[in-house]
Amino acid sequence: MEIETENLTRKFGERTAVDNVTLKVNEGEVFGFLGPNGAGKTTTVRMLCCLISKTSGKARIGDFEVDREEDRLKIRKVVGYLAGDVGLYENLSVYNNLDFYGKLYEVPSGKREENIKRLLELLGLWERKDDAVAGLSKGMKQKLAIARALIHEPQVLFLDEPTANLDPLAAKTVRDFILELKKEKRTIFLNTHNLDEAERICDRIGVLKTRLVAVGSPEDLERSISSRKTVVHLESIADPVLAAVKKLSTVKKVSTDENKLILDMDVPEKDNPQLVRAIVAAGGDIRYVTELTSTLEDVYLKLVRGA
Amino acid sequence: MRFRKSWIVTAKDLSVFRKNKYILYSLIAMPLLMGLLIPAMLVYTLQAQAALLTQAQLIESATFLVNLFSSFFVISGAALPTVMASYSFIGEKLEKSLEPLLATPTTDGELLLGKSLAAFVPCIGASYIGELIFAILIDGWSIINLGTLLVPTVYWAVVTGIVIPLACVLSVEANVIISSRVNDIRAAQQLGGLIILPIMLLMVLPLTIQILPLVTLALILSGGLAVADVGLFYLSKATFQREDILTKWK
Repeated sequence: MEIETENLTRKFGERTAVDNVTLKVNEGEVFGFLGPNGAGKTTTVRMLCCLISKTSGKARIGDFEVDREEDRLKIRKVVGYLAGDVGLYENLSVYNNLDFYGKLYEVPSGKREENIKRLLELLGLWERKDDAVAGLSKGMKQKLAIARALIHEPQVLFLDEPTANLDPLAAKTVRDFILELKKEKRTIFLNTHNLDEAERICDRIGVLKTRLVAVGSPEDLERSISSRKTVVHLESIADPVLAAVKKLSTVKKVSTDENKLILDMDVPEKDNPQLVRAIVAAGGDIRYVTELTSTLEDVYLKLVRGA
Repeated sequence: MRFRKSWIVTAKDLSVFRKNKYILYSLIAMPLLMGLLIPAMLVYTLQAQAALLTQAQLIESATFLVNLFSSFFVISGAALPTVMASYSFIGEKLEKSLEPLLATPTTDGELLLGKSLAAFVPCIGASYIGELIFAILIDGWSIINLGTLLVPTVYWAVVTGIVIPLACVLSVEANVIISSRVNDIRAAQQLGGLIILPIMLLMVLPLTIQILPLVTLALILSGGLAVADVGLFYLSKATFQREDILTKWK
């Protein structure tokens, strides 16, 4: 099931929280939504989950329009939502928390029991099913909240910072679980501040700062902010090698760093073979050739500061 | 509106309440105290009068006192929801569980009804248990000492069947509105408690002044409560909107 928005806007009084956001998330895709605090990520997700209304623009989940009254309950039924706060009933047991939501999502009794068991086993919580939630660790509560969002097997899943405040091990479990969900072809919309997490698990990333300032795969975004560089690691840099490289019209700029040549190229995939031939012909001994790109963090900081 | 959905929310809230000792003690203590203390006071007063009055006068006095004291059960009908409703709504706010709940395929009306029922059902049940204890003790005493049953009276029946449920509903609705403005259970209970005072004044003052027949007074009060219930219903419905809960509730 796809998610699509067109000029989606939300204002709170004079303040614009989300400004003309147009994006499309494909079925089965993990889409990362990055942005600083107050960028409008949660507001966007709340609009898509029909929790709050939009000021203007369009948004749909599959064939359901978020502002069509008769579609709202249908959207809530096919969507799973993990809010920023886990919001569990601390006095109820792990099992009863899930059972309550299973009933609200109209999961039939037998299927509900089966889903609860499957999810709790997958997340390592089955042994704790009769314990009150109050006694669980933060990581366990987060896993339980994820199980709650999946109790009705939603086709679209909105996760608002699912690994925030988790220790590295718990965060890894949650990330691995998201990757498992990706295999099941669910559409996952992931709000996160964690750039490393976004890079590891997202097919595409959108950077939001009220407006959507960039969208693309992590690799595309990393390449987008600077010209791509080819790095040639040599045994040593001799003058003939340097002269041969500078003669090439495809090389825009050359710099050196110890035994490395760092070259600005327009289209490295096309021009690198010619470069390698020229270096070898000039007597250079090449150890290996690599590509130098910006990190997602560089991209993110540049986009967010520049927006 | 699907009642089944509302009842799922009610049943969950009742499970939460069952695990909260403060709520349980409140639910048990208030009706139990009223069910025991009020008959004790009444019997004490009647026994003091017994030497001074004829049997017929004593029965007349006892009937008036039964009516007067049964009015006090309106207190439990109006007071208990301040405990339950504040936990039902503010409890969700404190646990930050409202957002996932609002994300489920339920309407605002279904959620509001479910949560209101969760506050109403145990309160009305506890109030009636208190009334039952009251009736059993009073009738036990009166059958032995006066040879007649004092409860039920028509006034008692109107108070029990109409006034108490209406006062209970009013209190629940008021607490929905209060819960949207405060973040503290105690503060909500104190504000909610203010609703008891006017109801009690309206119940007890006319009884002591006796300007109109008691049953007429109780029916007039019921009419007033019903009007207030309808008014507050619309206000609480307007307050309990998904968008407002997420963006405006404190």
